[in-house]
Amino acid sequence: MKHKRTFKEWIKSRDGQQVLVMIAFMIVPLLLLFVFTYLPFGKMFGFSFYNMKYVGARKYVGFKNYLKVFQRDDCFGALKLSLYYMLGSVVQLVLALYLATVLSFKVKGGAIFKGFMFFPYLINGIAIGFIFKFFYTRGFVFDTVLQWCGFQLDNLPYWLRDQSINNFSLVGTSVWRYFGQNMVLFIGAIMSVDSELYEAAMLDGANRFQQFKYIIMPSIKTIITLNVILSITGSLSAFEPPYVITDGANGTGTYFVVMHEIAHTQQKVGLASAMAIILLLIIFMVTILQKLFFKYVFRNAEDEDPRAARKRERALARSMKKHERK
Amino acid sequence: MNKKKLLALLTVSAMTASLIGCSGAADGTTDAGSGTPGGNTENASDTTDTTGTTDAGDTTGGDVGELSYTSLNLDDHKDLTASIKFLHHKTDREEDGTMANMIAEFNKEFPNITVTTEAVTDYAEDALLRLSTGDWGDVMFVPEVDKTDYATYFMPLDTLDNLSKELNFVDAKEFGGLCYGIPYMANAQGLLYNKKVFEDAGITEIPTTPEEFVADLQLIKDKTDAIPLYTNYAAGWTMGAWDAYVGIVSNGDNTYMNQKLVHTAEPFTDPGDGTGAYNVYKILYDACANGLIEDDYTTTDWEGCKGMMNRGEIGTMVLGSWAFAQMQEAGDTPENVGYMPFPITVGGKQYVCAGGDYNYCINVNSSDENKLASLVFVKWMVEKSNWCYNEGGYTVVKGGQNPDMYAAFDGCEVLSDQPSLAGEETFLNDMNAESELSINAGGNDKVQRIVEAGATGSESFDDIMADWNQKWQDAQEELGIEVLY
Repeated sequence: MKHKRTFKEWIKSRDGQQVLVMIAFMIVPLLLLFVFTYLPFGKMFGFSFYNMKYVGARKYVGFKNYLKVFQRDDCFGALKLSLYYMLGSVVQLVLALYLATVLSFKVKGGAIFKGFMFFPYLINGIAIGFIFKFFYTRGFVFDTVLQWCGFQLDNLPYWLRDQSINNFSLVGTSVWRYFGQNMVLFIGAIMSVDSELYEAAMLDGANRFQQFKYIIMPSIKTIITLNVILSITGSLSAFEPPYVITDGANGTGTYFVVMHEIAHTQQKVGLASAMAIILLLIIFMVTILQKLFFKYVFRNAEDEDPRAARKRERALARSMKKHERK
Repeated sequence: MNKKKLLALLTVSAMTASLIGCSGAADGTTDAGSGTPGGNTENASDTTDTTGTTDAGDTTGGDVGELSYTSLNLDDHKDLTASIKFLHHKTDREEDGTMANMIAEFNKEFPNITVTTEAVTDYAEDALLRLSTGDWGDVMFVPEVDKTDYATYFMPLDTLDNLSKELNFVDAKEFGGLCYGIPYMANAQGLLYNKKVFEDAGITEIPTTPEEFVADLQLIKDKTDAIPLYTNYAAGWTMGAWDAYVGIVSNGDNTYMNQKLVHTAEPFTDPGDGTGAYNVYKILYDACANGLIEDDYTTTDWEGCKGMMNRGEIGTMVLGSWAFAQMQEAGDTPENVGYMPFPITVGGKQYVCAGGDYNYCINVNSSDENKLASLVFVKWMVEKSNWCYNEGGYTVVKGGQNPDMYAAFDGCEVLSDQPSLAGEETFLNDMNAESELSINAGGNDKVQRIVEAGATGSESFDDIMADWNQKWQDAQEELGIEVLY
């Protein structure tokens, strides 16, 4: 009884109310996160050890599904296609960064350009698939435009049929869709750069490229890192363009499309779950590698920025102190 | 002290949260357990139907003796009151009002049975997911479920013996002597052609062998502007349609598909006499290799091809008879759309494989009243709705009328696949899944591979067939299925 009363008192106190409010606000998102993210993930992890279909009996097979993923040609063969998408994401980021830099200075009609380039991101991925299916159809939009430019139809390749270029066609759609979004993120980051720095740099005789290299790049490196990681992860799990445009056929079946096929057509749910877990591990690995890479790349750039250097020194001092305390 | 309080508070809040979770689930339509896509036996059976009025004591449903298709007299139940839900895949019929008209007709006879219908676009996948939640309504079309699981999900409609006296093609969804499904229509496997194109190309006789057929395709290419064979490669499922000719059509054996295939060591080897699965797929490969298909097969358009077929821009298309009505409706010249037997002759005779399309089934967990109403509905749909005839289907009711399109099938032997042997019911599904060839079960990508190989020359046809044989044998080994043929 006594304990209960103290609890009551405590809950009425300022501290108690603070905790209560904190929990009340946290509980809903945490519950959603748990129910719709971690619980299904845990289930899937469990499935990956079974030989099972959606309905019917399950059989425990241990790590056999994981072994199969490594033995099958189609699973890891599909990962090679991710290289196309990674290449695409490099193009996409460079393009986005270039346009963002140009547009963050005063440009005539800049807002309209920004709008137009961001627009594709707002379209649903399935709709984009259908748009490009007709865009690439023989003699349709793309071929017509190229013919205006003087190309002969006979010299043009079949954009989706020719296996040497159809993956580039698909990557093109995803670049078209996502570079606007990257660009907007970059612009946002560039806006936060102190404009006095440009003036100072100009007085020192730095040209636009030098300004970009020594002022803009280091200042927005967080957002660059984020965009690169998102793009690379995205290219490992590319799904919509190949699924909607080519149904994963004709050598365009990416890892996700193969996984979908295995899970839903062949109904090897266990194997597909194992594929998903392996992809997750690969994504982890790639992300860590990128982190290390960026640490290395930006190390030199940082030294050129006096503010960043000061900041780093302060951080270093802090961590030293921490070490001493330990 | 503070930490203890915090801990206590956290525990309390966690408990409250779990309570909230419980009541939330109870308010919903399904029980919490059925949310998992596992759909094992427990999940399906403890989904109780709260709308049921009878108490558990005097349930009689599920016993075929009490409620069966053949013993049900429609006239006895004119004033039955119930509300049932019908889940189906015919989105086109839902949209064009055919379904609503049929329900209206049904309600003229049974005014108190309310039928709500829902058409599902991606039926093969969605229906399975809904089935695993247990909450899908009362009547649906049987999705790909192992035969051993039928009784878990569906009510037995009648014994096979009784049912097969009145209806055709009811053995497909049979298990242990009981039928769990009745086809809404039946298909005869042949192929679509445009009569005008054949005429223009100077083809007077319908081809009966693969060589004649490919030669005719060449004629169409040389003499007309039409695409000789439209593959419908991009749609995917249209490619899987080629699997329908493995079995009866290509070897005249009605026990092959469900009984022998799983025990065959090399189902894709050339028998050397222009028959067998080898020669079915060979037609496609040859057509692709000789440029007798559409120019850019990766961008084919399923909706668009219907009109092209009707207008005579396409010579032939390999699809089941269900597609016939759609091709006729798609343009101004329905009289030009024709249907013919698949061009393979076995021992001097052409065979036609006929079989049920999707099968009606009834939820085993529905209340007794809903079960009765559902059975009334199914019986009425099969026998009185005329849906089968209107869709151009082969008749399900014995002695029923067949549409005119089957005229070309005169002289061919019409057979339907025999059910699998007792104890081997799941073998074909298991083999299909294990080998990933998925014959007649959505194995589209394997047929797409033939088109790619034929058109680009990346693989020879014999290599593909050898690969499939290998996959088939590996699956037999993995599953421990005996090789007999």
